[in-house]
Amino acid sequence: MFGTEMSIESQHARAAMPESEEHYRAVAEAATDAIITIDSDSTILIVNPATERIFGYSTEEMIGQPLTMLMPEYLRHLHKGGITRYLETGRKHIQWSAAQLPGLHKTGNEIPLEISFAEFTRDGRRFFTGIARDISARKRLQDKQARLARHAVLHAEVSAAISESEKSLRAMLQICAAAVVRHLDAAFARIWLLNEEQKVLELEASAGLYTHLDGEHARIPLGSFKIGMIAAEQKPHLTNSVQLDDRVSHKDWARQEGMISFAGYPLLVEGRTVGVIAMFARQCLELDTIEAFESVAPVIAQGVARKRTLDTLRETQAELAHLTRVMTVGELTASIAHEINQPLAAIVMNGNAALRWLALDPPNLAKARNSAELIIRDGDRASQVIARIRALLKKSPPLKTLLDLNEFVNEVVDLTRSEMVRNNVRWRVEFADDLPGVPGDRIQLQQVLLNLIVNAVEAMLTIEDRQRALLIATDIFDNTCVRVAVTDNGPGIDPQTADHLFDAFTTTKPDGMGMGLAISLSIIKAHGGRLWTEPNNKYGAIFQFTLPIVANEL
Amino acid sequence: MMATKPVIFIVDDDPSIRLALENLVSSTGQQAETYPTARDFLRDCPRDPAGCLLLDVQMPGLSGLDLQGELNHAGIHLPVIFITGHGDIPTTVRAMKAGAVEFLTKPVSDSELLAAINQALERDRLARSDRAEVAELRVRYDQLTPKEREVMGLVVQGLLNKQIALKLNNSEITIKQHRGKVMHKMLAESLADLVRIAERLSNPGSPPM
Repeated sequence: MFGTEMSIESQHARAAMPESEEHYRAVAEAATDAIITIDSDSTILIVNPATERIFGYSTEEMIGQPLTMLMPEYLRHLHKGGITRYLETGRKHIQWSAAQLPGLHKTGNEIPLEISFAEFTRDGRRFFTGIARDISARKRLQDKQARLARHAVLHAEVSAAISESEKSLRAMLQICAAAVVRHLDAAFARIWLLNEEQKVLELEASAGLYTHLDGEHARIPLGSFKIGMIAAEQKPHLTNSVQLDDRVSHKDWARQEGMISFAGYPLLVEGRTVGVIAMFARQCLELDTIEAFESVAPVIAQGVARKRTLDTLRETQAELAHLTRVMTVGELTASIAHEINQPLAAIVMNGNAALRWLALDPPNLAKARNSAELIIRDGDRASQVIARIRALLKKSPPLKTLLDLNEFVNEVVDLTRSEMVRNNVRWRVEFADDLPGVPGDRIQLQQVLLNLIVNAVEAMLTIEDRQRALLIATDIFDNTCVRVAVTDNGPGIDPQTADHLFDAFTTTKPDGMGMGLAISLSIIKAHGGRLWTEPNNKYGAIFQFTLPIVANEL
Repeated sequence: MMATKPVIFIVDDDPSIRLALENLVSSTGQQAETYPTARDFLRDCPRDPAGCLLLDVQMPGLSGLDLQGELNHAGIHLPVIFITGHGDIPTTVRAMKAGAVEFLTKPVSDSELLAAINQALERDRLARSDRAEVAELRVRYDQLTPKEREVMGLVVQGLLNKQIALKLNNSEITIKQHRGKVMHKMLAESLADLVRIAERLSNPGSPPM
C-alpha cells in the first residue's frame, strides 16, 4: 500500500525516510503508537496494527471510513471545519505536534491521546498522516498525583476544622463534609452523629448536592438502612455500582441523579461508634480516593470526641465560674444592698419633697417637677445596679465584646465602693489614657476584678496600724497587652501559699471555697492573657492581669 | 448675729442623696447648702456658720465621724445630724458621744428629719446665744485689772473679805473696794450671780444652768 515513490513533505521525515517499503512497513507495524493516513476528505486509507489495539476496531472496520469515527461526537464537527479551513487557507486550527486530544474507542469510551500530524502530496492529492499515542497510563498517573495532592489538602482541611475550638461541633462537621465534596469529587457528603440514648443517628452536616439537615435522612435508627448498618456493624460500606447494591434503597433516584458509587465509614472512637460519614459520587471511586476517605473518618471521629470533651469541660468550667461568681457577689451583699438603698432612699425623700412643694399655697410646680425628675433618675440608677448584679448572677453564655478597660474598672469599683468604705479602705484609681479596646467577656472579667478587689480588701482587714490603701491601675504592658493591677498594703502573700495560690481549693479565708483565683486564672488564660502576683514595695501584694491587644485595634 | 438665717449644711458623697436631702430640706422652707466631701465643707464653709450639719457617716476619704472631730478641733460648733444607710450600734455610740444631735437611718422620713433639724437648730440657737453671752462676759472680764481678777477668783471660792485681805496681804478696805469694782465691771447683781459668771467663764462649753 505504501509506494516507494511516495514523497513526504517534511525535511525531517525525508531524512529519516526508509529506503524500502518493507523497512517502512516494519517500523509502522512495530510502532506502539497508532499511525493513520487519511486523504483530504478525512477518509481513512492506512492504519497500523497499533491503531487496532488503541481504538478496538479491526483494520477492515476502519479502512474507507471517515476519520471522525475515532473521535468523540463533540470533536467531529470541529475536525471537519478545521481541515476544510486548512485546505483552503493553510491555517492550522490546532497545534500539529503533540496535541492532546481525546479519541473514541469502539466501546464508546474516550481515550486520552497525544497526536502529531504530517502532510504530504502525491499526484497532486494531499494526504495527512497522524501518529496517535495512547497516554491513558500517563494521564492516570497525573490524575492520581492530582488526586493525592487533593487528598493531602482534604486531610489538612479536616484536621484544621477539628482543631478549631471556637466553632460549634455542627459547623466543624459541615466544614469536613464540604471538604470531602470538594476534594474527593463527591456529589454530596453527609455526617451523622449517634445519639446513644435514643439509638438514632442524627444528621449533623450535609454538603454538595444536598445541604438540608431535615427530612427523610435526618434521623436514622441504629441498625436500619445502609447508614444505620454501618454504625451498628462498625464496618464501612463501599460500592462502585449503586444500581447493583442491595443496601442502596433509592435506586430510581440514584439512576436519575447519575449516582455511580457510594462510600460510608463508621466514625469510631476507642471502639465506640460516634457517627457515620458517607458520600455518593457520579463516578467510580478510585482506590486512593477510598483510602483518603477512610483516613479522614478517624480524624473526624477524634475531632467529635475532642470537641465533646472540650464542651463538657467548658460547661463544667462555666458552672464553676458561675458558682464562684455567685459566692463573690454573696460576699458583697452588704455593699450591694447599700448601692440599691441609696437611690431608693433618695426616691423616698424626693417623693416627700414633691408632696411638700405641691402642698404649698400656691403649689411650687417647678420644684415638684424637679422632684419627679430626680425620682426618675434615682429609679434608673437603682435598676441599673440591679441589672448589673443580675448580669453577674445569671448563667450567660460567653460573649466577647470590645471593652473600654477604664470604664470597665469603674463599673467594678462602683460595685465594691461601699465595701471599701465600710471596711475603711482608702482607694484610688490610676488610669492610663488612650487604652485600646480589648475583646473580652465583660461578665467573666468583672468576676476576675471583683475577686481581686474583694481579696485585697479582706487581706487588709488585719491592718490596724496604717491606713488601708488600695490602688487599681490600668496601663499598657509590653506594648502588646493592657494590664489591670490591684495593689494592696495588707500583710502580703505568705511564701508558702504563694506557690499554689492559683490552685483550686487554696484559701486563706475561713469560709472560702478557694476557687476564686483558680477560676480567675482560667478566665484570663481563656482570654489569652496572664494573671500573676508580685509583692508590693513595702507592704502587701500586687495582683495583676493582662489582656492581649488585638492587632487591628493598635 | 441672731439675724443670720440658719443654713442646713449637707455633706454626702452620693449625688442622689445629696440632691434629695437638699430638695427635702428646701421644701420645708429651710435654706440648704451641699458639699460632696467633708474636705470641701471644711475648706468652703462660712467662718461662723449658723444652722446644722447633715452628715453621711460613711464617706470615702474623710468620714462623717472624722469630720465631726475636725469641726470640734477647728472650733466650729454646728450641731450634727448623722444619716446612715445601716446604723450599727458602735458607730452610733461614737457619734452621739462626739456630740451628734440625732442619728437617722435611710430612708429618712421627712417628719423625722424635720424634727431632728428643728431640734438641731434650736440647740444651735441656744448654743450661739450662750456663746454670745460668754463672749460678752469675757469682754467684761478683760476690763478687770490683774488685782481685781485675783480678788474675783478668791471671792467666788467663797472666801470672806477678811480672809482675802490676809491672803493677799492687803487691808480689808482695799479688798472691799476691789470687790466693788469687780461686781460693777462684771455687772454682777449678787455674789451668786458672780459665781455663775465665773463658772461660765471657766467652762465656756457647758450650757447655762
